[in-house]
Amino acid sequence: MSDTPILQVENLSKFFPVQRGLLRRTVGHVKAVNDVSFTVNKGECVGLVGESGCGKTTVARCLLRLVEPDQGRILLHGEQQTFDIASASRKEMLDVRRQMQIIFQDPFSSLDPRWRVTDVIAEPLMAQKVGRGEAARRVLDILPTVGLGAHFADRFPHELSGGERQRVSIARALIVSPPLVVADEPVSALDVSVRSQIINLLLDLQSQMNLTYVFIAHDLSIVKHISHRIAVMYLGRLVEFGTTQQVFEECKHPYTKALLASVLIPDPTHREQSYVLEGEVPSPLNPPSGCHFSTRCPFAQEQCSAEEPDLRDMGGGHWVRCHFAEELDLSEEIFAPQFDTLPASP
Amino acid sequence: MPDSQPILEVLDLHVHFKMLAGVVRAVDGVDFTVERGRCLGIVGESGCGKSVTARSILRLLPSSETTGQILYHPNGSDQPIDLVSLDAKGDAIRAIRGKDIAMIFQEPMTSLTPVYTIGEQIMESIRQHQDLSEEEARDLAISMLNKVGIPDAERRFADYPHQMSGGMRQRVMIAIALCCEPRVLIADEPTTALDVTIQAQILRLIRSLQQDLDMSVIMITHDLAVIAQLADFVIVMYLGQMAEKAPVVELFQDPKHPYTQALLRSIVRPDTPPREQLHSISGSVPDPRNAPSGCRFRNRCPSVHDRCAEDPPVIEFGPQHTATCWLYVDE
Repeated sequence: MSDTPILQVENLSKFFPVQRGLLRRTVGHVKAVNDVSFTVNKGECVGLVGESGCGKTTVARCLLRLVEPDQGRILLHGEQQTFDIASASRKEMLDVRRQMQIIFQDPFSSLDPRWRVTDVIAEPLMAQKVGRGEAARRVLDILPTVGLGAHFADRFPHELSGGERQRVSIARALIVSPPLVVADEPVSALDVSVRSQIINLLLDLQSQMNLTYVFIAHDLSIVKHISHRIAVMYLGRLVEFGTTQQVFEECKHPYTKALLASVLIPDPTHREQSYVLEGEVPSPLNPPSGCHFSTRCPFAQEQCSAEEPDLRDMGGGHWVRCHFAEELDLSEEIFAPQFDTLPASP
Repeated sequence: MPDSQPILEVLDLHVHFKMLAGVVRAVDGVDFTVERGRCLGIVGESGCGKSVTARSILRLLPSSETTGQILYHPNGSDQPIDLVSLDAKGDAIRAIRGKDIAMIFQEPMTSLTPVYTIGEQIMESIRQHQDLSEEEARDLAISMLNKVGIPDAERRFADYPHQMSGGMRQRVMIAIALCCEPRVLIADEPTTALDVTIQAQILRLIRSLQQDLDMSVIMITHDLAVIAQLADFVIVMYLGQMAEKAPVVELFQDPKHPYTQALLRSIVRPDTPPREQLHSISGSVPDPRNAPSGCRFRNRCPSVHDRCAEDPPVIEFGPQHTATCWLYVDE
């Protein structure tokens, strides 16, 4: 891990128009990603967390230009040159995709059922105009790297289990040896016993191949386990960004605190923790004025619904979007018990 | 503390599906007791038979062969009813289903019909089981919506499911399940499709309703953290068989079956050292049609032995703690 940035996201925004009526008039915009900036350094893993609708998947898709960003720059520092993905031409994108690949969430829908494993994995090579023989050879090279035997090459996706399919997805992403991999919820569709295998594989591959990850997940304990730095999103906005230690142990945004507090602890003797956030995420079509979190925040004051706070540096690379980040005491005592402290029966 | 009276007893339950490719033994010899006012957790991975077990209690399974006994003890009656012996389409089970025993399904997106308002769907369930006028049913439905924490219930009553978020729909499902004050609530992965903050809200809701109504809960999940937070007693299932059953604290502190031990080791805990390799179970859950003979976990088990090809014995570790494994039998 180094301090050399490989990816710099600057003021990235993506607004989806909402159209109504016969004439498909645009009646508003969903601000799926609103002015998001962060950097990813070589060899590290940056986790992106938040609830559904917070824009984390849209960020991932913008990074690969699977959706067109509306504003901002996405700078990818490649081995030879730097690309701005947001404005790259088709030809440049071909180079970009050799540097950056994605692993999708659902291995049951992200693999074409009519293609054999070898064709699925070789597809990025075909796009890069690598010859068939060379491609087949490289597929056989990569299969053991992801823990699959050579006999998997001729199988179809329906013959594989969820974990094996996800290994195929990982092989497909890694076949062009990209330094940067975006993983969008890579383990959430998997069984518990297989989930840890895939996490171990991702960790192994990272150290072997010196990969950089952008890791998107809603399971906070997994993100904590794998990430060096974590970005927390809420309603299209980045609300907190810092090292795993800063975000998990010294978090300064009330939303981050609430998110952490709602993680269930797998220990029946610890049932008396946690604060439960009231209400639900508001519609991204009409986010609350001022701080988007103000409607659910237990510490909200008048200023919060009037003015939107800026993302401010708290020191040591810890960024927080809250008016009262310095003053709030987010220690455990303030947070009410999650359940009525009913102990487990003996 | 609720008294430990059984309300539901499942004895040697087998559910077999006959398919072209052979017989799938989805549930193979499951025994458990649900006590009044308590929460029983059933935990396992996909294909372990946890949902089939739940559905067999309500007789919701199509063309399957169900054997064994499911004894339901109604209030104030000494005579239990064997649900397996009832006609799946008869009046007897329909009087119990939705009234005495209710169920929350996993997908709040698909379990509600899109063509009726949520109010109509709650009232349907109420008027099926209670002799109430439309007016009274409506009042009850609105009070249920309030109880499950839907703000502005009066107005939301006329909403269609597509106008609500996932968390709201799951609350409507809970309202439908609870409107007849069931004595047993079966919750099949009630929070899997939801965000963490909503999951915490829904679990708190189930817990507080359980206490208010002195209701028994069967919580079915793959998530050990949900089990740790809610269950009093736990059954661990693997490929249709019971690997282990134990009170919740005993299960987490002293698991006996290698599968339970491996599952508990493989989850990320708050104190797991970051970026270290996690314990994992090799391989993946086999297709139930190709389940190994004897102990079904044996091809993934770290302590596998020759004798595991034969059916493992049930070993008792305490009054309520058993594991089905050869490991504790001396040769």
